[in-house]
Amino acid sequence: MNGQNLAGGASPVAALVLAWAIPGAGHVYAGRWGKGLLFFGCIVGLLVAGMLIGGGTVIIHRDTQGHIELWWMAQMGAGGPTVALTPISEYLAARAGGDIYANRYREVGTLYAAVAGFLNVLVMMDAYVKLAYPHRRRDDEEKEDS
Amino acid sequence: MGDALLNFFSHLLSLSNPFWLYYPLCAVAAVVYKATKFDDPKKIAKSALHFFLSVTAGMIVLAAVFYILNRVF
Repeated sequence: MNGQNLAGGASPVAALVLAWAIPGAGHVYAGRWGKGLLFFGCIVGLLVAGMLIGGGTVIIHRDTQGHIELWWMAQMGAGGPTVALTPISEYLAARAGGDIYANRYREVGTLYAAVAGFLNVLVMMDAYVKLAYPHRRRDDEEKEDS
Repeated sequence: MGDALLNFFSHLLSLSNPFWLYYPLCAVAAVVYKATKFDDPKKIAKSALHFFLSVTAGMIVLAAVFYILNRVF
């Protein structure tokens, strides 16, 4: 199944990779423009809102002791935008100096960005499954309706 | 216990409490989650609203229980 071209020549794996690189792009690739734009707006919106709420220092990949941030691993679910925002956030954190961690709003901003990552994993799986198993998805929706 | 509940709700409704920021986060999570389940925009909106209200009510009840337990014991 992996990498096979299904549903009008669209590859589920390509949709998965695209959805990681740009939230919503997997759905756009599959021809579902409305959902793609909705997912892009929601996920990138959450990341940007998290950055604004947390003073721009929420997407950093190492803590002050040099350990990988677990929050960052969750945020990486949002792929491309997280990769793009990480150097900006690290620059702002370095410029802020001192202890950036003792801030309630930074905690909320970090949570926003992490939830954006988790939601994008869900969106990636949806993009993959809708191309790889189109009939099963339709069955699931009918089950939800009943 | 009545005082503890009153304190909880006055703390919850205080504008300086970042808890307010929870609502947009929950709303976006509800919309994205339900948009992966349904295709019809009306169905997405209706089920996302239901999901948002259920999760919010559940979280408030849970927070109130923990707050009272913390204050009373």
